[in-house]
Amino acid sequence: MTVATPRRFVRADGPDKVTGSGRYTADLTFTGMLAAKFRYAEIAHGRITRLDTTAAQAISGVFAVITDADVPDVRFGPFVADRTLFARDVVRFEGEIVAAVAASTPEIAARAAAAIIVEYEPLPLVTDLEDALTAGASLVHEHWAVYGSADPVVRDRNDASFSSITTGDVDAGMAAADLVIESRFVADGCHAVPIEPRAVVAQWEGNKVTIWTSTQVPFDARAGVCETLEMPASRVRIIVPHLGGGFGGKCGFHYEAHVAALARVAKRPVRLVFSRREEFLAPDRRREGMVIDIRTGVRHDGTITARTGWMAMDNGAYTADAGFFPQLAAMHIAGPYKIPNVSVEAHLVYTNHQPSGSVRAPTAPQACWALESHTDEVAAAVGMDPVAFRKLNAVDTGDVGPSGQTYGEIGVQQCITEATRLVGYGETPLPHDEAIGVAIGWWPSFAVPSGAYIKLDGDGSGQIITGAQECGTGAVMTLRQLAADELGMNPEDFELVYQDTSVAPYDMGATGSQTLFNNGRAVVAAAGQIAEQLRNLAAEFFEASAADIVLADGGAYVAGSPVATVSIAELAGIAASGELLIGHGSGTPPATPQLVGSSCVGDLGMAAFVAPQFSCHAVRIRLDRDTGVVRVLEVAAAHDSGTIINELGALGQVEGGVMMGIGQALTEGTVYDDEGRQRNAGLLEYKLQTCADSPVIRTHFVQIVTPDAGPRGAKGLAEAPNVATAAAIANAIAKLVGTPVRRLPMTPERVWEALQS
Amino acid sequence: MSFAIATTLDEALAALAAGARPIAGGSDLVVAARHGKAPLPQSLIAIHRLGELTEITESVDGLRIGALVTHATLMAHPMIGRAYSGLADASALVGSPSTRNVGTIGGNVMNASPAMDTGAPLLVLEAAAELQSALGHRLVPLGELWTGPGRTTAAADELCVALVLPFRRARSGSAYVRLEYRRAMEIAVVGAAAAVVLQADGTVRSVAVALTAVAPTIVAVGGLGPLVGAHPNDEATLGAISAAASAQASPISDVRASDRYRRHCVGVMARRAFEAAAHRAAGETIVVPVNRAYGIGAAR
Ligand SMILES: Cc1cc2nc3c(=O)[nH]c(=O)nc-3n(C[C@H](O)[C@H](O)[C@H](O)COP(=O)(O)OP(=O)(O)OC[C@H]3O[C@@H](n4cnc5c(N)ncnc54)[C@H](O)[C@@H]3O)c2cc1C
Repeated sequence: MTVATPRRFVRADGPDKVTGSGRYTADLTFTGMLAAKFRYAEIAHGRITRLDTTAAQAISGVFAVITDADVPDVRFGPFVADRTLFARDVVRFEGEIVAAVAASTPEIAARAAAAIIVEYEPLPLVTDLEDALTAGASLVHEHWAVYGSADPVVRDRNDASFSSITTGDVDAGMAAADLVIESRFVADGCHAVPIEPRAVVAQWEGNKVTIWTSTQVPFDARAGVCETLEMPASRVRIIVPHLGGGFGGKCGFHYEAHVAALARVAKRPVRLVFSRREEFLAPDRRREGMVIDIRTGVRHDGTITARTGWMAMDNGAYTADAGFFPQLAAMHIAGPYKIPNVSVEAHLVYTNHQPSGSVRAPTAPQACWALESHTDEVAAAVGMDPVAFRKLNAVDTGDVGPSGQTYGEIGVQQCITEATRLVGYGETPLPHDEAIGVAIGWWPSFAVPSGAYIKLDGDGSGQIITGAQECGTGAVMTLRQLAADELGMNPEDFELVYQDTSVAPYDMGATGSQTLFNNGRAVVAAAGQIAEQLRNLAAEFFEASAADIVLADGGAYVAGSPVATVSIAELAGIAASGELLIGHGSGTPPATPQLVGSSCVGDLGMAAFVAPQFSCHAVRIRLDRDTGVVRVLEVAAAHDSGTIINELGALGQVEGGVMMGIGQALTEGTVYDDEGRQRNAGLLEYKLQTCADSPVIRTHFVQIVTPDAGPRGAKGLAEAPNVATAAAIANAIAKLVGTPVRRLPMTPERVWEALQS
Repeated sequence: MSFAIATTLDEALAALAAGARPIAGGSDLVVAARHGKAPLPQSLIAIHRLGELTEITESVDGLRIGALVTHATLMAHPMIGRAYSGLADASALVGSPSTRNVGTIGGNVMNASPAMDTGAPLLVLEAAAELQSALGHRLVPLGELWTGPGRTTAAADELCVALVLPFRRARSGSAYVRLEYRRAMEIAVVGAAAAVVLQADGTVRSVAVALTAVAPTIVAVGGLGPLVGAHPNDEATLGAISAAASAQASPISDVRASDRYRRHCVGVMARRAFEAAAHRAAGETIVVPVNRAYGIGAAR
């Protein structure tokens, strides 16, 4: 089977977004609408000794002030039920919501929120990941043991989720090594920073609520509202207007219930719009800090004999969706390498920091940065070129990976070849202040249920009604291509109806790079049903067998006689007075691969990679040795993400992922004060990369036929480009500095300090 | 609170005398209010329509830059690029294109931030602020204008109408260099400006260096007298510049950098600014801004 050349088309929502005609949640207004404002803890750990809202209630223009006492008594959380909508007795991070206000203007709401009296008895701060795991450590959750949790989650006091991957016999493997190399790395937390700060509008009609919200996961948001406000799904409708990015930060259930609860008490529509500062402090979605120890046994000939790893990652005050992080992070410390003996342990540690959650390829950029920095150290120890070392040890088609998975057709070796070729690795001597660093990464595809409907109206134009959510990746836009190809039509023949939980079937949302992979499958299935209807109609029209009907170029014909065609529009017209053209699809997700010979504690299904994606990034940087400032000049990114359906969209994902990776490598990191509060919760001090910083980015897609992949052999692509960039930059820096910079982000000052030693 | 737009200078001066604060581009004033750094003043008088404050006038005495001239204009002005390059270097680094389109030199100078970018080059170029009130008019050398973060010796009723820069003699050059963690939307972690005049034989006739973001105000580096007569490219000369800058800095530690790193880097910046200024003084063309032409920033 050959892979078709990808197409290039501009996404349908692009013009609306760039011309400003698109509507975002914060643009919505309703008659009588109120403004919401939260009162936050502002301290990182304390027991509430007094909470008095009387003064706030008395301010003219205030319609509602609510606290924990005003909502159902529910503890929630997808892995550990450790969270409540409003602080109850104890606040555990500075952005925890203590109360919410709805008032006639944002200014009055802010004044009322400030007028709420809250007093605390300070509790000991838990901020150090290793200290938090010691026997005598103060607890972030005194009553952790009584919380409900998902079955496989292994917990112990501040350890909210523990996971390990073990294969072979590491002691024997280490004993068989000629050299054992040990490294330690520490990564700071960082943020998703979508352009649009989040917004929620809630409006009640009778006992039903409609919530417009900037979420990446409308069905998850609905589930959260249902759980916390104790309502059936049928009475909660979530609609997402245009979403101004998410990067994972808008996954999960956030403030929909708070705003709905306010609107119910106020008896008015209520709108919440976050400031940039709130966007930094409050959500339970930011990239977690990590402490990582890695040890690798290697033979003089460069073969790896064993690896151990230990990691602690910052869960923050509540578990959100981070429960699966330890296992996924452990996979990234094991890495896409052939290692017969592996033992990696990972802990998700409660602290009094903002909760962590899925941000674009959760756990991967930091873990890959550590592993790939370490890999260069191991290669150097045996005197091998780091690229040759990777080629020798990286998994290839048919190999068994570190968790006991045997890989089908995969392209990591091709990725290494292509990325290093594109950047000219080893070809010409570089100036004294330049170096090239190389790293490889991997990422699973996620196989989950998903659904879509398609209808063709009487004029032959179609609508795809899908539960999928567009968060800016363009994945939903690509669905039109898939439907069109099934029906021999053009993508422009279809409109998308989406982001409304009361209209479309379930989809997991813009998370886990899963939209095209799963909803694409659903759309192909739905289109397949219409194709069958059209073939039957055409068969009747031509008095031929349905099996011989070909759908192409906007029409149908009998195989072998394409000159006599009937247009799809004509067939749709016939259907309009008979059985309507309606398709629905879901399809069966690909099965999870078997693991052989490994054992996992705290197994949340992350050790088996469905349709795994691979990448190699090779970057050329320049270092200013006097100041430690690093500039990324060129990035070559080679990706095995299966079949590429829209090349324009795919390139956008890689380029965006690389830019985000550069930020994580060099400038993006949360800095805390001694009280556990963020010191750089704003765009002045939290430094994203800008257009002016962007290097030349050369992308190559290694398109190979992937078994058990998504539609047409496509895998995910939104997260994979974010995995290996920071690691490749680190390896380039290490070449120029002479030693790795063991702290992420590798800020100019940290690089300069490393140069001094 | 009140907001009025002045259509004549007299109107603006009268409003100031009555207690209003001027607002030009608003890119410091409004942003500071939004961030809760300083509340919006009770009374604001907008000066952006005062056409006479937007002019750049060249004369035998030098240059007079109206207070409303924007960074976008300054960075592209041929005369400034040639004779007062350090100022163009600074304006070209301000924020982003949109910041440079709204931000004015008067606002930058009068905001008196120790991290302002035009401050150090204006100081080494011996600029003075032309202050006007309903009562009169005076010239204040910039070294006597800033007294601390956000504080100046200007009276509340005085408007800065222009910056006045003396004529630059032959064989002079200036430059401004800033430490940047990224290439746009950056705030000076540290920066330095230098102005150099060379003798006919290529040795230093005079030199001035000023530092950004290492003290409560922009500060001039003292004690450079012994460098007169030195060769600008000598390692000893360059080392002396950077040592003096580092020694005379009194930086703080904050989320952007530690005091130790700032002290080191301001020396590096001073050395680079001096090098670029000396090369320009020698007739070499170094494109504006120096940050994009030299070292780490160069396109190469
Ligand atoms: C995104 C962003 C990036 C920025 N980047 C930089 C940067 O890189 N470097 C830098 O130096 N600055 C930067 N700034 C700050 C700001 O843009 C500049 O200082 C600009 O020059 C201020 O000019 P303005 O006209 O907007 O001042 P305004 O905000 O209008 O005024 C600033 C202050 O000066 C007073 N004032 C204004 N004009 C006069 C006058 N004629 N006489 C007396 N008082 C007056 C005002 O009352 C106020 O106190 C940035 C700002 C933003 C928002």
